Amino acid sequence: MNAVVEDTCESVEDVITVGTHVIVKKQDFSKIYKVSENGILMLGKNQRVEMQEIIGKPFWSTFEMVPLSGNKGTFTLTLTDEIEPWNDLKGELSGCDNRSITDDGTSQRLSKEEILQLQEAGKTGKEIISSLIENSKSFSAKTEYSQEKYIKKKKNKYFKFLTIHKTSILLLHEVYFKRKHEKIGGLRMDALAQMLSYSDVQSDGLHLLYSNGFQGLPAAAMINRIGTNTSGYLINLHPGNMPQTTFIEAMNFPQELRDRHLAVNIYSFLRLHYQGESSIIDNISKKVVIKDTEESHDTEKSSEESEGETMNDEVSETDMEVSELETEIKENGTLLTSDTGEDNSTLKRKLESEEPEIEAAKLKKPKKSANKLKWLLETKRAVDLLSSMKARGLTIVAKEHPLQIAKALLPFLGISRPFVIFHAHREPLQETYMELKQKRNVINMKLFTNFLRSYQVLPNRTHPDILTNDTSGYILTGYLVE
Amino acid sequence: MSFKKIKEVIEDGDIVILYLNPNNMHPLEVKEKISNKKGKIIDNVFNTAYGALRVVSLIGQKYGSKVELTRGWAYVLQPTPELWTLTLPHRTQIIYSPDISFIIHLMELRPGSIIIETGTGSGSLSHALIRTIRPSGHLYTFDFHEQRVSIASTEFEKHGLSDFVTLKEKDVCLEGFGEELKHKVDAVFLDLPHPWLAVEHATVALKKAGGKLCFFSPCIEQVQRTCTKLICEGFIELHTYECLQREMNVQYKLLPILDLECLKHKHTTEDIHKNRKEKQEEKLLTVTQSHSLPGHTGFITIAVLPPTYARKKEIHLQCRNSDK
Ligand SMILES: C[S@@+](CC[C@H](N)C(=O)[O-])C[C@H]1O[C@@H](n2cnc3c(N)ncnc32)[C@H](O)[C@@H]1O
Repeated sequence: MNAVVEDTCESVEDVITVGTHVIVKKQDFSKIYKVSENGILMLGKNQRVEMQEIIGKPFWSTFEMVPLSGNKGTFTLTLTDEIEPWNDLKGELSGCDNRSITDDGTSQRLSKEEILQLQEAGKTGKEIISSLIENSKSFSAKTEYSQEKYIKKKKNKYFKFLTIHKTSILLLHEVYFKRKHEKIGGLRMDALAQMLSYSDVQSDGLHLLYSNGFQGLPAAAMINRIGTNTSGYLINLHPGNMPQTTFIEAMNFPQELRDRHLAVNIYSFLRLHYQGESSIIDNISKKVVIKDTEESHDTEKSSEESEGETMNDEVSETDMEVSELETEIKENGTLLTSDTGEDNSTLKRKLESEEPEIEAAKLKKPKKSANKLKWLLETKRAVDLLSSMKARGLTIVAKEHPLQIAKALLPFLGISRPFVIFHAHREPLQETYMELKQKRNVINMKLFTNFLRSYQVLPNRTHPDILTNDTSGYILTGYLVE
Repeated sequence: MSFKKIKEVIEDGDIVILYLNPNNMHPLEVKEKISNKKGKIIDNVFNTAYGALRVVSLIGQKYGSKVELTRGWAYVLQPTPELWTLTLPHRTQIIYSPDISFIIHLMELRPGSIIIETGTGSGSLSHALIRTIRPSGHLYTFDFHEQRVSIASTEFEKHGLSDFVTLKEKDVCLEGFGEELKHKVDAVFLDLPHPWLAVEHATVALKKAGGKLCFFSPCIEQVQRTCTKLICEGFIELHTYECLQREMNVQYKLLPILDLECLKHKHTTEDIHKNRKEKQEEKLLTVTQSHSLPGHTGFITIAVLPPTYARKKEIHLQCRNSDK
């Protein structure tokens, strides 16, 4: 196999290396994993997979999970060529006539021991599931929908092959949308795709984004469209201490591209732009004496958010830096509110209790003054960039009411350039629509929602998928004019 | 050159979008003279419901500014692929922005992607594809219709996009995509009546490291046939979708309010008068949906071709036999 691999690997990029994030697929199930020397991947609650084997192998490789003897629930991986065809399982088995079948409650004829024997005899997952189905009296009486669910459940249990893939926005989005859609605000792929069009994001120009939460998905998707070795910039305004960066980390963007992504607090940004640098410095020192209402509001908000994100997959070092910066500001002053201290320790506790494979962010103690400088410099860079040129597009993906955000950021958008706002609810967008319309410097405004349906396509059995998602959210688009 | 980079001021030769209202937009080519339907060279004057516009008078004006018409005004915008899709001259049926966005997302395009599109048609999709893949990527677009190819070619030239696109006149089902594209592309998009006839050619054009194939078909039979073919060629993870965008009109609605409480007791006429004045209507901000909207555009199917070393060889052979 190695010879073949060498022949077709077009670059080192096609090989799995330590430090990168990858997608691990096991059937329909997929998970984000950061490759490390002795990494462990948890599948569900009780399967630990030792992942060393994947290092140095090409992407798309398939590995078999081999139980580690004497260590229940732990598996090692071996590279394999064998790929079981699975697509046809339902087709083969559910087409039969069920007139003779009556369900008497004892549906599975195979005993536990018999199933175990099958496994030990080295039967493949597909073979085992086929026997389970053949010996299930109730299977054929089930609706197609519940047959699907049954097979899916069994597959998760008996399928023992993993494949490793490069991360991409599409795959990362899928991981989240399937299992943790609330963490990305229910943002469905058709809405995400449309935002990327209507914002006119591309390799060139300065792109402005306001986004709060969503694990950094909107920013990562835009950075992806700005692309490596191009001239585009993304300024990503957010309301808290630290933007969420899970998706950005997981995309393994090269440093050169990451340097063109400026994540800046929106309050600091606007203050610096309108009031100049001295007011920022003033504000930092003031903040520790009397709690600035806005800013303390943010702090509360972001700690509240990290409360909701107990399972945050990745907590990057940058996040930690910023939160330490915040602590530092407070420590330097005279007033150290007790609740802030508490928030910070809960945050750290959470970080430490991360799932093991995530390799909880190493809590480095960075140089404090350097950090403060970095944060201020970043804000200055954003302000400078936006005073040298207007934004090519404005994108707002908010949980907040978008009206104030739109009003504050439209002045930074170029004339004749588009904006797009996504919101889970229609009402705030209606209100934004009306207000902006009355201001008369915005044209071609459109409010819409999307319907997305997926299909099962099989010979003679094509129909819409039984399960669909109805949380499309709403999108408002328009163009700024003089 | 209106699509190449952001422009502030309108120049000779630009394409501008004249905006009257959301349902009334027109692409204008900024030049002194144009040829009319009979091929005669005449002054470039554009007539709207609000009066005429001498198109050259736009030169030197800012994009996004208001322009006077004899009986009103309009705005001029620099075209984006979205505006272009809404205003371009149709030579064929075209794909619209909601489907286009979805196609680009599913094919995972980004700057640097090398891609094939067929047929070019009216170039609606092409403009959005080029925006996504430039500057380092390239679009190879094919159509077997001579006139469409030549019009599209002139358009790309005028729009400043020729560096990023190569147009070829070819029947791709019969001839394939050409030796020079063998194992060169990241993704193939098909919008033609017989997508299954182009699948084998697409497989050859995709990189050895694998790639994506996406096709757009209005009819489910085409989808079924093409999916069968794709599976035979070793494609996996086939998904078929349908995406509909529903536009809503934001409006204030006045809702009459009935006072039924007052009927429970006896009231003086004065009372009733007072109540009437108080509240008879409520102003509600809401939306109305259109009575008729496109209920179907086309099915979008995406499929993945794994790298050569991870392709399923057995299925491959099996299909070859039953195919004939
Ligand atoms: C519906 S149009 C494509 C529209 C295009 N996607 C757009 O958005 O503007 C289909 C095009 O495919 C071309 N076509 C059909 N069969 C073809 C073939 N075998 N080879 C090349 N082009 C073909 C037709 O000439 C037509 O222009």
